[in-house]
Amino acid sequence: MTDIAPDAGGRPPSIPFWRDSRVLGVLAQIAFFTLVVAGLVGLGRNVAGNMGRLGENQLLCRDGSSNFRCAFDFLRLDAQFEIAETVIAYDPSDSYGRALLAGALNTAKVGFFGIILATILGTATGIARLSSNWLIRTIARWYVDLIRNTPLLLQLFFLFFGVILLLPSIRQAAQPFGLPIFLSQRGINLPGVALMPSFTLWLALIGVGLLAAGVVWWLLGRRERRLGRDTRRSLWALLMLLLFAVPGWFVAAAAGAGNQGFVVAADAGIATPADVAARARAALGVDDLSAVEAAVAAGELTPEQVEAATVTLCTVEGAPAEANAAAWLRRAAVPYDVERAPGPNEAIRAYLDGDCRLLVLSRAALTAAAVPNSAIVPLPETPLRLDVPRIEGLNFVGGLKLSPNFAAILIGLVIYTGAFIAEIVRAGILSVPRGQSEAARALGLSEGQRLRLVVLPQALRVIIPPLTSQYLNLVKNSSLAIAVGYPDLWSTAYTTLNQSGRAIQVFLLVMGAYLSFSLVISFFLNWYNRRIALVER
Amino acid sequence: MTTKSTAETDEIIICRDVHKWYGDFEALRGVSLTVKRGEVIVIIGPSGSGKSTFIRTINRLEEHQQGEIIVDGITLSHDIRNIAEIRREVGMVFQQFNLFPHLTVLENIMLAPMNVRKWPRPKAEERARHWLARVGIPEQADKYPGQLSGGQQQRVAIARTLCMEPLILMFDEPTSALDPEMIKEVLDVMRDLATSGYTVLAVTHEMGFARTVADRVIFMDGGLIVEQNTPTEFFANPQNERTRQFLSQILSH
Repeated sequence: MTDIAPDAGGRPPSIPFWRDSRVLGVLAQIAFFTLVVAGLVGLGRNVAGNMGRLGENQLLCRDGSSNFRCAFDFLRLDAQFEIAETVIAYDPSDSYGRALLAGALNTAKVGFFGIILATILGTATGIARLSSNWLIRTIARWYVDLIRNTPLLLQLFFLFFGVILLLPSIRQAAQPFGLPIFLSQRGINLPGVALMPSFTLWLALIGVGLLAAGVVWWLLGRRERRLGRDTRRSLWALLMLLLFAVPGWFVAAAAGAGNQGFVVAADAGIATPADVAARARAALGVDDLSAVEAAVAAGELTPEQVEAATVTLCTVEGAPAEANAAAWLRRAAVPYDVERAPGPNEAIRAYLDGDCRLLVLSRAALTAAAVPNSAIVPLPETPLRLDVPRIEGLNFVGGLKLSPNFAAILIGLVIYTGAFIAEIVRAGILSVPRGQSEAARALGLSEGQRLRLVVLPQALRVIIPPLTSQYLNLVKNSSLAIAVGYPDLWSTAYTTLNQSGRAIQVFLLVMGAYLSFSLVISFFLNWYNRRIALVER
Repeated sequence: MTTKSTAETDEIIICRDVHKWYGDFEALRGVSLTVKRGEVIVIIGPSGSGKSTFIRTINRLEEHQQGEIIVDGITLSHDIRNIAEIRREVGMVFQQFNLFPHLTVLENIMLAPMNVRKWPRPKAEERARHWLARVGIPEQADKYPGQLSGGQQQRVAIARTLCMEPLILMFDEPTSALDPEMIKEVLDVMRDLATSGYTVLAVTHEMGFARTVADRVIFMDGGLIVEQNTPTEFFANPQNERTRQFLSQILSH
């Protein structure tokens, strides 16, 4: 103790360096830095040594020599393996690099939709857990407890092998609540929206509407400041937008009326699309085509009769005209069938060969083809057409299609992560002091306003940081997709590794890819979190 | 609409035999009180005597299980429309201020008038600035609550309450969480309001405020009103033994 007390000369006491907190702090940093550098150097030498032992082909350059610079040149080699579903075009003759990219995009797809759906499910469940309704509260608690306390891999296996693969076959696809949603062993088919050529015009008109709404908003804002009273400018701006969007729909539809059409024999007596339905009615001898199915079931019509009255279309694979014609025929309840050709010339040849009754193409293609002995009937269109999936042969056609593997990994991750997000949301809401709710109530705010204006904005600040980790977990857990056969990044990387033997390079790439996904998510959420941070001092 | 049978009478708050239980514990054991329009009432009593609980039953922050509460002719019941109507007439200032930390001072004050009274923004902003000036801090309008001192925060809370144009102001120990040097600025505002026509119910330990401003002082203990009188009589000549004991304890230092 004596060396701490000031000495006789009044100088500050001298402290031995091993007790000086400043010296100790610097020493600790030096020690830590040395350890990290030593660790990295050891790791690097180990990698280099392993690469050397694995042989020169690990580092093969295209000119046949071997160099560290060429460690990733194998990515240009042909992958020669199939990927069941991809976002971008992919073929086994493409390179390993493209295969990995296809896998990474599949992972991004699961991550993107997974995060959105898990957030919705988690928020709803989190609020439900705080509900005053016993049943809602209890169901939410059971869901959270059950899901949080069982392994994700087990849940994925159960979902895939125990639920999705046990769904009915495609012919008996389940349709929950009679909606156009089809659940079968082949996965989930949902209705989609097909964009027609006139969609571009409609979009442009909406853009003009937005511009006009902005001008109205600005003008009324000035007026508001001048007069000092409310002018309901959000209402007027919305009205302005609708003024362009709603008539714009019909304008675009009218402008696109000649875009598409179909060809019929000139002597068939069909001048408008409605005549097709009339012909079908006459052929079947019914007044109402929607009653055909019931009539077949009752034995009043034979399947052969229906078969004979079925209208066959020849069209090009993926052409908007097909969705347009199909939507129109479906509304008129005309039984129809589609023959798809890879290009317009093949479609025209199929029509000339007599494979189909109608040739459905864009107006320009029909005019150019100048099919002999035929008339072109314009097909009306709207900017968007509902695209409902329907069974053709052994597959669903049209709409959105989720493969069983994608459905399994997506639903599995959403259910699993949703349970964790629910707890985060619940904790966030509970973290807002009681006094905030009391003040809101005392001021006369309704319960909905209290939640929306006072509680949730504050809860969000507590929710965002742990929510970020859950989003990252979801993306990282998506590597379990390999268990349900969904070709995600890790699944394609694993095949690449097995075929190419470049274990270290593949691992580096995959880790780098997951790291970038995580950094992107963290970046956005940290940015958002900073934006909504509370101002204090 | 609700019948306003007593709306034109002088009695703005009528409480008859109000009981409140927390589980087995009876916090209010039959409180009856009638408050006249414009009357300033100070409620004192030891902690746990039920004084905060009592004023919180009046705007339904606490539910009473027995008895009757009528505010400005509206009977407080499970009818949420009645509750909402009463809350519009009754403003409340809390011990912990309870400002909304994610909103600026001005937004704090404008929130309820815009969403409950449906005032257009320009009117709400004009009134908010008016009340902020009235409590003496117009220059703080665009700051966040976290940037203000306790006394300033409490004054904002008072302005927030006043902007809803209530008939009745309730204060729940408004100075108890403040540093001593800030108590005066809040009491000055309260004194100003008490003398400008509001009906005031204040739970406080500020005996100076009670002495100078109150029309009536009420002493509560054990969930009951033990004694009530004019301030002069109450402090000079307390009738009840428990009142005397309480006063001797708080006035002795």
